[in-house]
Amino acid sequence: MKTISRTAARLLGCVFAGGLMLSSAQAEVTVLGWPGGPEETALRAVAEAYNARPDVSDENKVELLFFNRDGFWDKLQADLAAGSDAFDINLLATYSIGRYAPFMEPVTLSDEAKDLYGEAVLSTMQFEGQQYGVPTDLSLHFMYYRKDLIDELMGDDAAKARYAEIAQEHLGKALEPKNPDEWTWDDFAATALYFTQAVNPDSPTRYGTVLQLKNLLFNIMVWQSIPRSYGGDWMDAEGKITVNSDAYRKGLELYKLLYDAGATPRDSLSYEFPEANAAFAAGQVAAMLQWNAAAADLTSADKSPAVAEVTGTVAPPAGPEGRKTHIHGLGLGLNKNAANKEGAKAFLTWLSTKEAALIYARNGGAPALSAEAVKEIASERPDLVQLGEYAGSYGYVMNGGASANALAVYELQAKEFTGYWSGQQDIDTALANTEKGMTELLK
Amino acid sequence: MRIAERTEWNLLATPLVAFLLLCLGFPALVNLVYSVSEISFETLRSPTLSGFGNFAAVLQDSAFWRANWFSLRFGLLTALLECVLGLFLAIFLAPLFKERSWPLAILMLPLMVAPALVGLMYRLVLHEFAGPVPYYLWQWFGNSPSFLGINSAFWTLVAVETLQWTPFAFLLFHMAYHAIPEEVREAAAIDGANAFQRLTRIELPLMTPILGVALLIRFIDGFRVFDNVYVLTGSGAGGSTASLSIYIYEAFFKQGAIGKAVAASVLLFLASFAILYGLNMIARRRRK
Repeated sequence: MKTISRTAARLLGCVFAGGLMLSSAQAEVTVLGWPGGPEETALRAVAEAYNARPDVSDENKVELLFFNRDGFWDKLQADLAAGSDAFDINLLATYSIGRYAPFMEPVTLSDEAKDLYGEAVLSTMQFEGQQYGVPTDLSLHFMYYRKDLIDELMGDDAAKARYAEIAQEHLGKALEPKNPDEWTWDDFAATALYFTQAVNPDSPTRYGTVLQLKNLLFNIMVWQSIPRSYGGDWMDAEGKITVNSDAYRKGLELYKLLYDAGATPRDSLSYEFPEANAAFAAGQVAAMLQWNAAAADLTSADKSPAVAEVTGTVAPPAGPEGRKTHIHGLGLGLNKNAANKEGAKAFLTWLSTKEAALIYARNGGAPALSAEAVKEIASERPDLVQLGEYAGSYGYVMNGGASANALAVYELQAKEFTGYWSGQQDIDTALANTEKGMTELLK
Repeated sequence: MRIAERTEWNLLATPLVAFLLLCLGFPALVNLVYSVSEISFETLRSPTLSGFGNFAAVLQDSAFWRANWFSLRFGLLTALLECVLGLFLAIFLAPLFKERSWPLAILMLPLMVAPALVGLMYRLVLHEFAGPVPYYLWQWFGNSPSFLGINSAFWTLVAVETLQWTPFAFLLFHMAYHAIPEEVREAAAIDGANAFQRLTRIELPLMTPILGVALLIRFIDGFRVFDNVYVLTGSGAGGSTASLSIYIYEAFFKQGAIGKAVAASVLLFLASFAILYGLNMIARRRRK
C-alpha cells in the first residue's frame, strides 16, 4: 500500500512539474527557423544576443525550433492551416507570403528598418501593402565563370576566330569574346557553346554551362531573369497575363538551343542547385547562372579545389532592358495563433534594428543591407556588399510574384517549360498552356 | 456460454473497431466531404459543398491520366521484373541456402534502406561529376549515357525500384520453395521426372499462390510509388515521371488544389477497391 502511495505521489509530482515546464515553455517566444546552413547559425546568434539583453524578461526569451528542410514549406502550410500555436514566429519567403498571410499578422518594424534595408528589400516581405515579416536573408543570382578560361580566350586570336565562327553558326551572328561583366545573353550563349566539347572538340571543359532544368519551381526563378531582361513580366498593370511574349520566347529558346547543342550535361533535366554546383566544382563547366548561396562553396579551396582560385562572379548578363536578377527574401513573421504574441512582436521589432542585422550578418546570414549599413561589416563580409548592390540595381519581383498562388504559378511554369526543353511539346503549346493556367491562378 | 462468448468477442473487438473508425473512417469521411467541396487551406474547417466539379476537373486533366499510365506501367513492370528475378534467385540459390543461411541477410539488406534514401543514393551514384558509375564509364569508354534524361529516366527508375525490392519477392519465393515437402520431389524423381520437369510440373505449380501474392503486393507498391521517384526526378520534365501519388501530392501542396487532390485520391480508392474486390471474387470462385 505504501509503495502504491509513493508511486502515486511521484506520478503526481511529475505531472505537476511537467505542467510547470509546459506553462513556462508556452510563455517563451518560440521561433520556427530555416534549419541547417548559415541561416540557422545566424538565427542562433541573434537569439542568444536577444536573450542576453537585460530588458528581456524570462517569459519573453526566445526559444528556437527547427525541423527538416525537406518539405518544410508544406509542413508549415499544414501547421498554419491547422491553427497550430507550437510556434509564435515562423519563417516565410517572398514567393510563399501570399499563401501564409491569411494565417499570420502584419508586424511593426523598428524606426531604423527603412534606412537599414531600403524599400526594395522590405517589399520582399510585403503582401497587399502590409509588412508581414522582417527580411533576414536575400537570395539572388550571380553569373559564375572561370576567369582562367575567359582570360585565355580573350588573349588568343585563333580562339577568338573560332568563337566568332561558332557564334555565327549557332546564333546567326559573329560575336567577339567579351569580359563577363559586359555580357549580353547572346555572349553568354556563344561562350557556353565555345566551351562545349560537343560543339568545339578543343574546348578545355566538357560543357560550356550547366543549366538547372529539373521540373522544380526554384529553377524557373533562376531562368526567368532572361525573359525579364528582355522586358518580360507575369502580367501587366491591368492583371492581363503577359507570358506569351517575345521575351519569354527568347528565354525559352535560348535554353533549348544550349540543351540541344549539348552545352549542358545530358542529365540536366534532373539538375537543381547541388547538381549544378558539383558540375561547376568538377572543373568541367565554363560559366553558369546560380544562386548567390553557392559562392561560399565554389570559392572555397577546401570544398572546390579545382575551381576555387579561378572562379569569378558578376551580375547576370544583360538583355535590351539591362541586367536583371530575381530576388526573394527569407524572413520571420508573426503566427496569428501565437501563444505569446506580445513577446513575439517585441522580438521581431528588435530583429529589424541595425544591431540585430549586423549580428545576423556577422554570423553567416545574408541580409541585404543598404550601402551605408553594410559598410560596417564590409571587411568581414565582402559578399554582402555585392549582394546589396545587385539587389538594389538589378533586383526584381515579377508582378504577382508574391500573390497567394505564386508558388502554383512557378510550379505550372516549371512543368510546361521543362516539357518544352525536353522536346515533349512545342513552344507555342507551352506558352499557351502557361498563359491559360496563370489566368486561372492569378484572376 | 454463448452470451459470455459474445460479450468476450465484443470486448475484444471493440478497441479494433474503434481504432479503425478513428484512424481510417474519420479521414475517409473528411476526404469524401472535401472531394465534393470548394476547399482551400483557409477554409479547411468550413468547406462549401460544390457537387462533383472536383471529380470532373480530375477526369478532364490530362496530367491525371498520364500519372495513371505512369503508375500502371511502373507497377506492372517492376512487379514482373522483381518476381522473375526473385524466383530465379530463390531456385538458383536454393542449394546454397540449404547449406548456409547467412548470405540471406546480405541479400535482404536493400530492404532495410528507406526508399527516399535509395533515391538520394542513386542521385549521387548516377551524377556525371560526382557518381562512380558515370566516372568509370567515362574512364573506360570515353562516354556515359544519360541516366535521367527524358528517354531514360523511366527505365532508370524501374531499375532502381527493382534492385531495391527484388529481395522481398526473393524472400517469399525462398520460403515457398523450401516449404515444398522433400518427399514430393523424391516421389517425382523416382517416377523419372528430371530437374526441369520437377520444376515446371511440381514446384512452380505448388508455388503459384505465393507467386500471385508476390505479384499483387509488388504491383501495389510499384503503383503507389512516391519516395525514390520524387527524390530522383521529382515529377520529371513536363510531368513525365509523375506517379499518381506524386500527382496527388503536388495538386495538394504545390498547387493548393485540395479538392482536386482529394477527388483524385477518392477515385484511386474506388479503383483499388474494385480491383481488390474483383480479385477476391475470382479467388473465391476458384476455391469453390
